[in-house]
Amino acid sequence: MEVWEALIGPLGFAVNSLRRRGFHSYLAFLGLTLTVATTTFLLLLGQDLATRLGIDSSMRSTFGISWLIFAYLVLALALISIVGLLSSSYLVSSMINQRMRDIGVIKAAGALPRRLLSYVTFEAFVVIFSSCLVGALSALLIYASWSWPSISLFRQVGPIPNAGATVLIVVPLTSFLLCYVVASVRVRRIVGSSSVNAISRQLSNLDLKSLGKPLRIKRLGSAFNLATRNVSRDRGFNRTILSVGICIFLSMVVLSGALVSADTSASYVVRAMPPHILIVANSNIYNQYVSLGTSFSRTAPVLSIDYVKESYIISPQNASTFRAIPGVETVDTRLITVSSITGYVKAHFASNQDTGENINTQMIPEVDTGSTQALIVGINATSPIGDWYTSDGFLQSVDSQYTMIAGDSLIGNIVQMPLNLSQISAFGFRYDVKSALVDPLNAGRVLYAPIQTVQRNLGVTGYNVLLLKVNNDPAVLSAVSQLASSFGLVVGSQDPILNSNLAFLNSTWSYIFLIPILSLALTCGILLSYLTTNFSRRFNDYVVLKVLGANVWYRLKLLLWESWGVLAISMLIAVPVAWAVSIFFLVPDPSVSVSDLELSTVVSSSALTTVSLGSAAIYSRKLGFMTVKDLKA
Amino acid sequence: MDPQDEEIEVRAPGIAVDFVGVSKEYLVSGKPIKALTSISINVKEGEIAAIVGPSGAGKTTVLNLIAGLEKPSEGDVKVLGLDLAVSNEHSLSAFRSANIGFIFQSYNLVSTLTAEENVELMMELAGWSDSGRNERLTAELISMVGLTDRSKHLPAQLSGGEQQRVAIARAMANDPALILADEPTGNLDLKTGLEIVKLLLRLKGEKGKTLVVTTHDDRIFEMADVIYRLENGSLGSVDRPVRVRS
Repeated sequence: MEVWEALIGPLGFAVNSLRRRGFHSYLAFLGLTLTVATTTFLLLLGQDLATRLGIDSSMRSTFGISWLIFAYLVLALALISIVGLLSSSYLVSSMINQRMRDIGVIKAAGALPRRLLSYVTFEAFVVIFSSCLVGALSALLIYASWSWPSISLFRQVGPIPNAGATVLIVVPLTSFLLCYVVASVRVRRIVGSSSVNAISRQLSNLDLKSLGKPLRIKRLGSAFNLATRNVSRDRGFNRTILSVGICIFLSMVVLSGALVSADTSASYVVRAMPPHILIVANSNIYNQYVSLGTSFSRTAPVLSIDYVKESYIISPQNASTFRAIPGVETVDTRLITVSSITGYVKAHFASNQDTGENINTQMIPEVDTGSTQALIVGINATSPIGDWYTSDGFLQSVDSQYTMIAGDSLIGNIVQMPLNLSQISAFGFRYDVKSALVDPLNAGRVLYAPIQTVQRNLGVTGYNVLLLKVNNDPAVLSAVSQLASSFGLVVGSQDPILNSNLAFLNSTWSYIFLIPILSLALTCGILLSYLTTNFSRRFNDYVVLKVLGANVWYRLKLLLWESWGVLAISMLIAVPVAWAVSIFFLVPDPSVSVSDLELSTVVSSSALTTVSLGSAAIYSRKLGFMTVKDLKA
Repeated sequence: MDPQDEEIEVRAPGIAVDFVGVSKEYLVSGKPIKALTSISINVKEGEIAAIVGPSGAGKTTVLNLIAGLEKPSEGDVKVLGLDLAVSNEHSLSAFRSANIGFIFQSYNLVSTLTAEENVELMMELAGWSDSGRNERLTAELISMVGLTDRSKHLPAQLSGGEQQRVAIARAMANDPALILADEPTGNLDLKTGLEIVKLLLRLKGEKGKTLVVTTHDDRIFEMADVIYRLENGSLGSVDRPVRVRS
C-alpha cells in the first residue's frame, strides 16, 4: 500500500480521487492551466506592448491616434480578462459536476456533510492552486523566452524592468480566488442536494423538460436528429451556449475591434491628408512641410526656419492663376508658421450642490495651462483640403477671426476640456478654441486659424503653401508644374507623406494584432475544453452506437453535428452582437468596412470550426478502437 | 448513398455461427496475451447457445468476434454465411445493424434517448427510413416487453429490469436473425431475471431468432440448445441441454 492510500484526511482523499480519475484529472488540470497561462501571458504581452508603444510613440504620432490605440489595448485586455475568468470558472464548475455522483455516493454512505464538504473543496483547491501556479509560471516562461530582440519595436525600446509584475501576481491570484469561490459554492450546493439525484449521474446531467418534443429534420438524417437530442437534453446546454457565446463575442470584439480601430486610425490620417493632393511651395517651405507632415511617423526633429521670408510668399494673384488651370478643382491657400502659444482656462463660475438643496456658485479664476511651440496654419475656411475628424466641426466662414481649432496633441495640456472655456494666446491675442481635430501635421501640435488672422498678425498678404486638388489628367500636373516653375515654386505630391504615416500606423497595429490572434486562440482552447468534456461524458453512448452497428460515417456525422451545432448556435448569437458593438460602440466616428467584419467573422469561425471538426474527428477515430469491452458497467 | 443505408442480405440456411480453429491474441504492453486458443463453435439457426466460463475465460471476446467488432488472429469466423475476417469496417457495421441484435449485462441504452427512441434508433441504424412504419413497430415492440406506459422515460428513470426489457425491444428492432446477449440477467434480481429469461424464450419460440448468450444463470442453461464452456480461452466442453437437465 502506498503512503497516499494510507492517508486519511483531505489530502489523502484529494490525491486518491485525482489519481483514480487519471485522464479526467489531467484534462481538468490541463484546461485550467492553459486558460490561466494564456490569460496571464496575453495581459503581460498587452501591458508590455502598451508600455513600449507609449515610449516609442511619445516623440511622434498624435494624442488622438495614441488614445485610440491605448483605448483599444485597454478594452482588449479587459475583455481577455473576462474571457479568461469566465472560462476558468466554467472549467471548475464542469470539474465539480463530474464529481457529483461520487459526492452523492459518499454522502449516502453516511459521511458527515461538513467533512465531505471540506474534503471535496480541498480536492478542488489542490487542482485550482496547482493550475494557477503552473499557469502563472508557464506564462512567465513564455513571456521571458519570447524572442523580443527579433522584433524591431523591442530592439528600439529595450528592456523594461519590472514590466508586468503586477499582472503576474494579480491575474493568477484573481483566477484562483474566483475558481475557488465557484468550486466552493458548487460543492456546497451538491452536498446540500438530494443524494438520490446526485447518485444518478445520467439524471443529474439531463434536462427532463425537453423530453417528448425532439427536433426531427428527416432530410438531415438520423445522426443529426440524435445529435440535437443529445445536445438539447444536456442540462448544461443553456449555460454552455451562454459561456461559449460570450467568449466568442468577446474574442470577436477584440478581433474586429482591432481591424476597425486600425482602419479608423488610418482614416483619421487620410481624412487630414487626403491622397492625390499636390503641394506647391518654395522648395525650402516644401521640404519643411514634408518634415512637418511626416513628424507623425518619424522621430527626426523639425528644423526651425523663417516661414515668412519674402521669397517664400506666394501672392494672391499667383495663387489665383493656379485656380484658372482647367482640371484644378480646389486650391487650399495656407500660411503656416511656428509660434509660441500659451493656453488658458478662462475665468468662470462653477456651481455645485451640497447635500441639501443649496447651490453654491464659485468664481474660478483664469488658469495658465502652459506654453509650447506649435504650428499655426492660416487656412481659408471656404476651401480647405481635408476632412478632419473633429470634436465640434472645422472652421466656418462665419466664425470669428479670433477662433482656432486645436490639434489633438495640444488637448489635455495646453488646451483643456471643455473647449468653450479654453483659450489660446498667440501673436499677442487671445483666441477661443472652437474644436479639436486629429491631424498628423507636426504630430498634432497644430492650430488652425482663419487665414486673414494669420496674415494680419504676420504682416503678410500672401500664402506660403498651396494645396491643390486636381483631376487625374497628366496634362494638369504638367500645367501646374510649368506654372509653379515660372513662379520659382516646386510641386510635389502629398502621397509620400501620407504613405509614410500609414506605414507607421500599419507597423504599430501589426504588433497589436498579436493580442486578438492569441485571444482567438484562447477562445479555441475554451471550446476545445467544452467539447472534450462533453464527448468524454457521452463516450459510452457513442461506443454503444458503434457496437449496435453505427458505421464510421454515422459516428463522425453525429460528433460533427454535436460539436458544430453548439458552435453554430453560439456564433449565431455572438456574431451579430459583436458586429453591432464593433460598429457602434468601439471608437468615435469609426471607419467600418464590411470586409473588416467579414474578415473577423471568417477568421473566427474558421478557427473555431477547425477546432470543433478536429475534436470530432479525433474522438471519432478514438471511437474506432473501442469494443464491447470498453462499455462501462 | 449513405453507407449506413447499405444492408447486407445474408443467406445462410442452417448455420448461424461457424467458428473453425479461432484464436485471438492481444498485445498488452507489447506482450502478446492469448484470449482464445483454437476454438470451434457451431450454432444452428433458431438455437439458443450459452457460453459459460469464469471471468477472463474469453466469453466477451467470442461475442466481439461474432459481431465483427474484432477480427480473429487465426481461424475462420462465419456468421450468417458472411466471412467476417475478410470484411471491411463499413460492411461489418452494415452487417451488424441489419442482422445482429445486442443485449448487454449493463443494458447500455443511449442515456439521452427515451425508451421508444432507443428502439427506433436501431431501426434508423439499420437504414429503415419510413418513420411512420418505424413508430408503429416501435410501439409494438415496447408493448411486447410491457413498457407502453414507460415509453417516454429516459433510461435513468427506469429500473434495471425495465431497462433490460427496453434493451430486448431494441435488440429486436432491426428484426435481426441473430441476437447476442452478454450476461443479460447478471445485474438483475431473481424475479426480474426470470421475466427476462421468459422474454428471451419468446424471441426463440415466437420469432425464431438465434441467440448466443454468455451467462452464469441456470435458467438460461436450461433453455439453451447447446452450452460451450470456456476455460482460459480454450473450449473446455460442449454440452447439450438434455445432459444438463439430466
